[in-house]
Amino acid sequence: MRILGSLVVIAIVVAGLAVWIIRGPGPLDFAAGPKVALADYRAGKPTGVPAKLEKAGIVERGEYIAKAADCMVCHTKPGEKDYSGGLAFKLPFGTLYSTNITPDKDTGIGNYSDQDFLNAVQHGKRRDGARLYPAMPYTSYTFMTDEDVLAVKAYLFSLPAVRAKAPDNTLSFPFNQRWAMIVWSAVFNPDTRFTPDTSKSPEWNRGAYLAEALAHCGECHTPRNLGFALDNRKKFAGAITAGWRAFNISSDKATGLGNWSDKDLIAYLSLGHAPGHGSASGPMGEAVDHSFSQFAPEDISSIIAYLRSVPPQPSPDLPATTAPVAPASHREGVTADARGKKVFASACASCHGWSGESPVSPMATLTGTWAVNDPAATNVAQIVISGTKRHTPDGALSMPAFGNAYTDDEIAAVANYVTARFGAKGSKLTAKDVAELRGQTAE
Amino acid sequence: MHMATTLTINGETKSFDAPPDMPLLWVLRDILGMTGTKFGCGIAQCGACTVHVDGKAVRSCVLPVSAVANRAITTIEHVGSTPAGAKVQKAWLDAEVVQCGYCQSGQIMAAAALLAATPNPDDSDIDAAMAGNICRCGTYVRIREAIKHAANGRQS
Repeated sequence: MRILGSLVVIAIVVAGLAVWIIRGPGPLDFAAGPKVALADYRAGKPTGVPAKLEKAGIVERGEYIAKAADCMVCHTKPGEKDYSGGLAFKLPFGTLYSTNITPDKDTGIGNYSDQDFLNAVQHGKRRDGARLYPAMPYTSYTFMTDEDVLAVKAYLFSLPAVRAKAPDNTLSFPFNQRWAMIVWSAVFNPDTRFTPDTSKSPEWNRGAYLAEALAHCGECHTPRNLGFALDNRKKFAGAITAGWRAFNISSDKATGLGNWSDKDLIAYLSLGHAPGHGSASGPMGEAVDHSFSQFAPEDISSIIAYLRSVPPQPSPDLPATTAPVAPASHREGVTADARGKKVFASACASCHGWSGESPVSPMATLTGTWAVNDPAATNVAQIVISGTKRHTPDGALSMPAFGNAYTDDEIAAVANYVTARFGAKGSKLTAKDVAELRGQTAE
Repeated sequence: MHMATTLTINGETKSFDAPPDMPLLWVLRDILGMTGTKFGCGIAQCGACTVHVDGKAVRSCVLPVSAVANRAITTIEHVGSTPAGAKVQKAWLDAEVVQCGYCQSGQIMAAAALLAATPNPDDSDIDAAMAGNICRCGTYVRIREAIKHAANGRQS
């Protein structure tokens, strides 16, 4: 009996230790300075809206915060009404659908009280008591102030109610057991509001609030641990999300943002393009179009100040330097993949050029982008499959989707050719890899 | 949202109102009435809409008009007044390239840009430059012949 008791104690200790190890540090733990309660912080105002909206009504403030938190992209199925839900997230263990967050009483959140809304956004708890899956980034939103969360609610409740019921999730066992999220949440939701770090500048604190509580950068750019929660030991080191590679945004000089100028970071976040770094597409293109491009300039600067402080995390699979411009003639440079070259000549060359510097628009230039310098070619294959449509201030620039025009074999061949010609190291994608990428994009 | 826009097309300055995201092809055909450039697929996959921007062959159907301000645009209406374009057009007539003709303004624009950059193209150069221009009548053999003819004409 005593032996059994000892075993139970040991098992509990081991389990507790394992949970502690897997959970790792919180998203802001790298900044080890002294923290104060928000109410006691006098140096600046890290939360809420920028100065120009300080006097605006709650709906207008909520709109800014909802955009900064990028609620719309996930809660809108392309072609459907804003915030009416139904976007499919294809996960390895089934499909999740985003919910309708318009004020419709039957199918939306029309019956949510302030407390119900706070419970959902900060604690991952639905009005009926059921737990949300962490596809809803409440582990990030938990850092939001009550005031900001309720401003978002006021904004959402100012929108037209849309009657739209999302399809039922198709998760497999054990992932279809929502109650299990109680345990997940207890381990992985920090369940704490933002506390300023007094050793850092007011700008840094604003950036931390924007990046962690609102923009939830880490949800795509931080790798996940065994429990599918963010592994902040590798904070912002990059990860694959929804079939696209979210690249390293730590301060690593070679493979992160360490060598980006402020000007380039400002341009990339607010316009979705920086010369020599390529254009945002896929989920980051959406984040720019619907969120970052709406940020006040001082908020963009704050985010940059914060990003620069995140410790460097190298991406060992990426080259130390991106490849230079390819030769202008198709004859020079890499010609190994004959099939890939053929596809490139007929489908790609007229916009991207043989050198990789686009004759059409700097936004279509391939030289210098991580996408073509990634030996896994994830985003090259993905953009060939899905295309892109970006809304820039002077008009949309788009790339057609070739997913239905070319076979998996041809897409693999052209991705291998493109990475070899314009990147540091050619990829070795197969038709099977392309088929898998097709299956992962949210739709 | 329409905006006053000015473009340099075939050496002339043209001013008009258009939304900034309107493709150049729409501006050419519908606003300026220059219908020599053709609409084919609308997704840069057939080459029928090819024009030159700063001397390079590009697909006007996916090119927002805001991207080409301050750049020199040449269309099929004017390419005959460039040295390479004149040679290509003559070679096209000599070789009787055209069948139905719908793709041919795009073919001629692509060929003229090729010859301007590569005066003596071999088969692989022609493949690389012309692969994106599709011809439903299958005039590819005569297109290749005419490009070589135009190149030789330049040498003599």
